[in-house]
Amino acid sequence: MPREFLVVKKPNRKSKKGLWQRIKQDRIAYYFIAPTALAMLFLHVSPICQGIYMSFLHLNQNTLQSYLLAPFVWFDNYYKVLIDPTSPIRIGLFEAVRNTVIYTVVVTIGTLGVGMVVALMLNRKFWGRSLVRTLFLFPWIVPTYVTGLLWGIMWLKEGGLVNVMLVDWLHLLPFKPSWLTGGNTMWAIIIPTIWRYWPLSMLMLLAGLQTIPDELYEAADIDGAGPWTKFWMITWPMLRPVWFILILFGLIYNTYSFNIVIMMFGFGAGFPGEWGDLMMTNIFRNSFQLWNFGTGAAASVLLLCVMIAIVNVWFRYFKQAEEMS
Amino acid sequence: MALPYYAKKRIIDVIISCFMLLFLLLTLLPVGWMVFSSLKSSSDIAIGRVGLSRNVAGQVEVHWDNYVDMWKNVNFGLYLKNSLIICGATMFLAMILSTLASYALSRFKFPGSDLFSNTILATQMIPAIMYLIPLYIMFVKFTVLTEIPIKGTYTGLILIYSAFFVPFSIWILRGFFASIPKELEEAARIDGCSALQVFWYIALPLARPGIIATGIYLFLQAWDELMFAWVLTNGDTMTIPVGIRLFVGNYQNRFDLMMAAATVATIPVVVLFFLLQKHIVKGLTAGAVKG
Repeated sequence: MPREFLVVKKPNRKSKKGLWQRIKQDRIAYYFIAPTALAMLFLHVSPICQGIYMSFLHLNQNTLQSYLLAPFVWFDNYYKVLIDPTSPIRIGLFEAVRNTVIYTVVVTIGTLGVGMVVALMLNRKFWGRSLVRTLFLFPWIVPTYVTGLLWGIMWLKEGGLVNVMLVDWLHLLPFKPSWLTGGNTMWAIIIPTIWRYWPLSMLMLLAGLQTIPDELYEAADIDGAGPWTKFWMITWPMLRPVWFILILFGLIYNTYSFNIVIMMFGFGAGFPGEWGDLMMTNIFRNSFQLWNFGTGAAASVLLLCVMIAIVNVWFRYFKQAEEMS
Repeated sequence: MALPYYAKKRIIDVIISCFMLLFLLLTLLPVGWMVFSSLKSSSDIAIGRVGLSRNVAGQVEVHWDNYVDMWKNVNFGLYLKNSLIICGATMFLAMILSTLASYALSRFKFPGSDLFSNTILATQMIPAIMYLIPLYIMFVKFTVLTEIPIKGTYTGLILIYSAFFVPFSIWILRGFFASIPKELEEAARIDGCSALQVFWYIALPLARPGIIATGIYLFLQAWDELMFAWVLTNGDTMTIPVGIRLFVGNYQNRFDLMMAAATVATIPVVVLFFLLQKHIVKGLTAGAVKG
């Protein structure tokens, strides 16, 4: 993504015209953004403000009718989410947070790693290159709900393709492990997610690789650099902006992952609870199955705060890394 | 062994290519297995029998009837219609909004433009569930107050999807508009076009490939949305993911029908993507290249 979006440009304050005149001069721009601004006001800004306010309300199905006039309970919801050991949302929260952290980190690293390897393999000249690239994009086109459903069946203990391949064909394991319950559940949701998302990283990294001028590599050849040195001294630094964006988006989207888990396990009895619960599924089930909207809103506000902190740290780290180089 | 340089390079090249093809097969395996399984019987999928199902006499039997049963059991026609209406209308509405807004953002430097574009960027950080809880209650309350149904209607979901996907499409489209040379528009202005005419006759046709690509991408995103649809649709308006999820919950051993439904749900997306893949790939990577 273009970097100019990431840097706040200061408007030219030196212009002699007054603010009102500048507004008048560009009034067509305001007509153009007005519909979007209006839509965002109603469907982004207003729900967010309400959501933050709701996190201070005692809001469940009994008080739903009174909407924003539900009893104001200050930080009681936050107490329930974070501290109170008996509240339903607190019980699974620690596991959900742990799973989300593992999931996000492993999936982000996995998609980037696989994407990088395949992008390097594709960044050579060979016959049928664009066809191979298009075929590699295939998992990324498959909808995520199909991914969850399909892998849910592939992980089945007896007849699932994974166990058939590992045990019956390759004889790698002496018995068929169960993937959808117990400690293996994290792998059962991590691997499909990597499978679904690595082609996007590959596409971005490949586009980045193709912008690196050949002269750099030729110069390195003349200086006698090996392939390893060339990768670390040329490819890696040149791809840094792409890495930045991909890690940023990977962190955000994977933390908010929902579809694959829900399609694999469903909303009800089959849900793996502590083994495969993520933050989003946890909050969703608390809000729309136990109807604790107040605590759900409080948990999502906390999640947002954590996300803002992570994004800020990442921006700062990247800026520092840029200045160092 | 002292192989000449080019021979060594050639051997490495072949090894990499073989590895790549192997990995390609492994990548495509799940999708192939999905299509293949949709033609088997449910019990054969459950016990993990490789190969097509056989009937009592031992003859190979391709279960094309899964696709017919699916249409009856899952009520797939309704879900498909709902998904097409909702995603199509979302695409149309969101593209109008985001084309206008991204043009304004890429061409004008007006007071408040930074605020606007930063807000758009910031919305990407917000968890969807944070919108969903207030929106759900807003919808319920709105219907109680005005007796206009909005939860469970097409309109409600289309409005939400449009607003939800607009920021991302503005982000992509801005790059497309920025890549149109400014000189063209300035020349048109000198020739006497109004700002609106410049937009309509110059910028819009030039950005059309980008607009189409972004629209398709948006369609695919809306096609893939489960959380909002699960809460905000009812029996008549539910989309494909909701329908499939409900079906999976009710018929847990009909793997054949699940695979058939999954295949049919993937087909429109695959067709759209391969028709327009050049545009989509270009549109998504344009930003990365500019870095």
